[in-house]
Amino acid sequence: MDRVNPRNVLVVVAAVAGCVAPFVMGDLTFLMRMLLAAIVVTGLSLLMGYAGQASLGQGAFVAVGAVTVAVGTTRWGLPPLLVLVAAPIVAGAFAALVGVPLLRLRGHYLAFGTLALLLMVQTAMSTLDFLGGAFGISGIPAFGVGGSVFTDQRPYVLLALGLLALVLFVTHRIVDSRFGRGIRALAGSETAAESAGVPVMRGKLVIFALSAMYAGLAGGLSAFFTPYVSPDSFPALESFTYVIMAVVGGLGTLWGGVVGAVLVSTLLQVLNLVSSQPQLPPTLGPILQYATYGGLLVVALLFMPGGIVPTVQSAAARAVSRRGGAGRT
Amino acid sequence: MTELVAYLISGIALGSSFALIGSGLVVVHRVTRVVNFAQGSVAIVGGMTSATLLNGLLPHGLGEIAAVVLCGVLGVLVGLLAIGRRGTPPLISLIVTLGASMLVSAAIIWLWGQDPVTPPGLEGSVTVLGAEVERQRLLVVAATGVAFAALTLFFSRSYLGKGLTASASNPFAARMVGIDVRKMGLLAFGLAGILGGLAGVLIAPSNPLSFYSDLPLVLSGFAAAVFGGLTSPLRTLFGGLGLGVAGQLTAGYLNGSYQTEMALLLMLVIMIIRSRALVQEEVK
Amino acid sequence: MLRIDDLVVRYGSAVAVDGISFEVGAGEMVALVGPNGAGKSTLINAISGLVAPHSGTVACEGRIAQVPEGRQMFADMSVEDNLLLGGWSIRNRDLGEVYDLLPDLAGMRKRKAGRLSGGQQQMVAVGRALMARPDLLAIDELSLGLAPLVVAELAEHLRFLNRERGTAVLLVEQEVTLAFDVCPRALVLEAGRIIAAGPSVELAQSETVRKAYFGDLAVAETMTGATAPATTEVSP
Ligand SMILES: Nc1ncnc2c1ncn2[C@@H]1O[C@H](COP(=O)(O)OP(=O)(O)O)[C@@H](O)[C@H]1O
Ligand SMILES: [Mg+2]
Repeated sequence: MDRVNPRNVLVVVAAVAGCVAPFVMGDLTFLMRMLLAAIVVTGLSLLMGYAGQASLGQGAFVAVGAVTVAVGTTRWGLPPLLVLVAAPIVAGAFAALVGVPLLRLRGHYLAFGTLALLLMVQTAMSTLDFLGGAFGISGIPAFGVGGSVFTDQRPYVLLALGLLALVLFVTHRIVDSRFGRGIRALAGSETAAESAGVPVMRGKLVIFALSAMYAGLAGGLSAFFTPYVSPDSFPALESFTYVIMAVVGGLGTLWGGVVGAVLVSTLLQVLNLVSSQPQLPPTLGPILQYATYGGLLVVALLFMPGGIVPTVQSAAARAVSRRGGAGRT
Repeated sequence: MTELVAYLISGIALGSSFALIGSGLVVVHRVTRVVNFAQGSVAIVGGMTSATLLNGLLPHGLGEIAAVVLCGVLGVLVGLLAIGRRGTPPLISLIVTLGASMLVSAAIIWLWGQDPVTPPGLEGSVTVLGAEVERQRLLVVAATGVAFAALTLFFSRSYLGKGLTASASNPFAARMVGIDVRKMGLLAFGLAGILGGLAGVLIAPSNPLSFYSDLPLVLSGFAAAVFGGLTSPLRTLFGGLGLGVAGQLTAGYLNGSYQTEMALLLMLVIMIIRSRALVQEEVK
Repeated sequence: MLRIDDLVVRYGSAVAVDGISFEVGAGEMVALVGPNGAGKSTLINAISGLVAPHSGTVACEGRIAQVPEGRQMFADMSVEDNLLLGGWSIRNRDLGEVYDLLPDLAGMRKRKAGRLSGGQQQMVAVGRALMARPDLLAIDELSLGLAPLVVAELAEHLRFLNRERGTAVLLVEQEVTLAFDVCPRALVLEAGRIIAAGPSVELAQSETVRKAYFGDLAVAETMTGATAPATTEVSP
């Protein structure tokens, strides 16, 4: 009897593909951005799917992580490893701080509140010279530990892969914990969760801070990779993209964030290549980008409201049970 | 003193547009519980369409009206996406309208490019209490006043308006007496399109609009609507005016670039202070 | 004029109405009684087309209007607006007729419906239903939460309406004595099925119905209250 869970096969395939790609692809910028997005979106999917709270401003925490690295390395000369570890911590602490008032809001109000937060973080970055001001902070040193310094893109990608794996592992452990099961009640009804003894506010705050930590981690890593941080590095559109990826992949699933990030990034990359053909008008790029974002959101939400991962999962479960196997998907 | 008058009037003009956009959000939210993120994009389409139409196709007046009507149609289309499918929860509908606003952005870039567009408005200025005020700004204020009066009359006097109010007040009973609540939702989206389009048509002559303006517009509108708990158009009007004036005073006396942040901060503070009441209104 | 055939209504997998068939003739008054959760409201809502049946048919010659459970006012609108909206389906905006039938309503036309007493709201709910000029009035829990005097007055209005206009009435009512008193014929519903039907006088006498479903009430009446538990008291 085959005991191989098809999902585990997929995970192995994805891991292998992820590890091989850095060695066969030329320019790794695309891959890197995709991995960073996957880290952010895994947290966002947790927040939206489990705690039922939409954040339209997840970029705020990416920015906090990036600024932590930029300021820590260029202003204070701290070692890269230390600031990379600090990035998620600072972002998480920031989220815990602003989360106390912000998470009193729900639904639409929270969605707009987080968007407002992002815009205010941008303003803070562009007005406070300490945070880089309008011109941002450049000259962030390459990442490295001890004597070994990252000299090209490949080690960054491998590091990002490792961190994504870590993030997925942590998410998996949290979701499966008693706390995670309690939190899941939040997405249904807060009143129900409350009466079932789930500490609603604390639970939301923890998930909010955790998703911010993921975002901060991705931001910190991107600051080393780019190596430049400015207020324009975190446009609202990017935060919307995270939402699109989360929704396309499937909210409240472990792999939804990764799947969404990979699919949406790849699609955009292909469109980018197509529209940057020299004979085409220069506005075609943004037109296609916006049309794709909009189309994806509308189509995904209206026709696959669960997202890709749950849809595929249930389709696979049906296929397995048709074949007579006791499918455990 | 004259400086203050100038800030106040330009603040009221700016706030009027917030109020128009915000009341569109309110009208839709009351009936459908959906917050229509595309409301800012619709306003941009309004401003840009009027620029195109007034460029030799139609005379002043007609061009603006045609642009506003088109925005009404666009609003209904957005509504079809947002509530066309039964049982879509409001928060998901918000994200659908976010998607719709991106589709509209794509259309805007396709039709008008990426640069800001500005239609011709009223020329010249007049002196009010010693302050030089552009006539276009006075037009914005007057048109907003007329629009809100018309909106109030529509809701309180017309049979259709009462049907809309009823759908918002008690959807079950509305269905029971034979009101098609979904159609009323679409009507609300159309009405919101008209209000948003009007805002765009009115402000574009003094504030050129590009596809990039959607976020500031919908955020300001939302901020205004928050004052009305997303349910009261009249309180949204006052919220919008307050935000506009506060913004202009900030811009005038402190620093121009903090104007938006001022509005956002006020919005956040109001939302958080009133969070309990807002949640209750949402549940109701 | 109303004919229900093997009607089944479900909420998800739960069956609320489980194969019900009955008829209401033109101008007839029929009571529908049964314990909480029996499916009475669901049945009424299916008849008015507010919930879709899973199977079976509802056929009606003529218009149906509903007086819903809990009265369902348009709370922040005036009484007059509430009434006007009642005529929505036939675009009837003539309030005179309803004010003639229920003169009390004319006196409170400008007041907000949400501010009225329960009895006044029920009056508005009846008036609102009448604005649709119904051939059948489906009333869900007429007396719930109302003082007996008010209920008596409302019942009188119903009788008048039935007599003068020939409006058929389907009356869901917890207060069995009232229901049987107003309606010559009754249906007893339990767990989504009709378990007894017939002339009210016979049902009220029927030993099985009294014991099984209104046992307490019957006991209270016949034993002059000596052993009746508090919950069975017919309100004074
Ligand atoms: N909207 C609903 N969703 C799910 N179940 C419902 C709903 N409304 C009623 N029910 C269930 O259907 C059954 C019949 O309810 P109802 O028709 O309200 O009974 P009654 O009016 O006789 O008290 C009950 O078990 C109730 O719990
Ligand atoms: Mg009932």
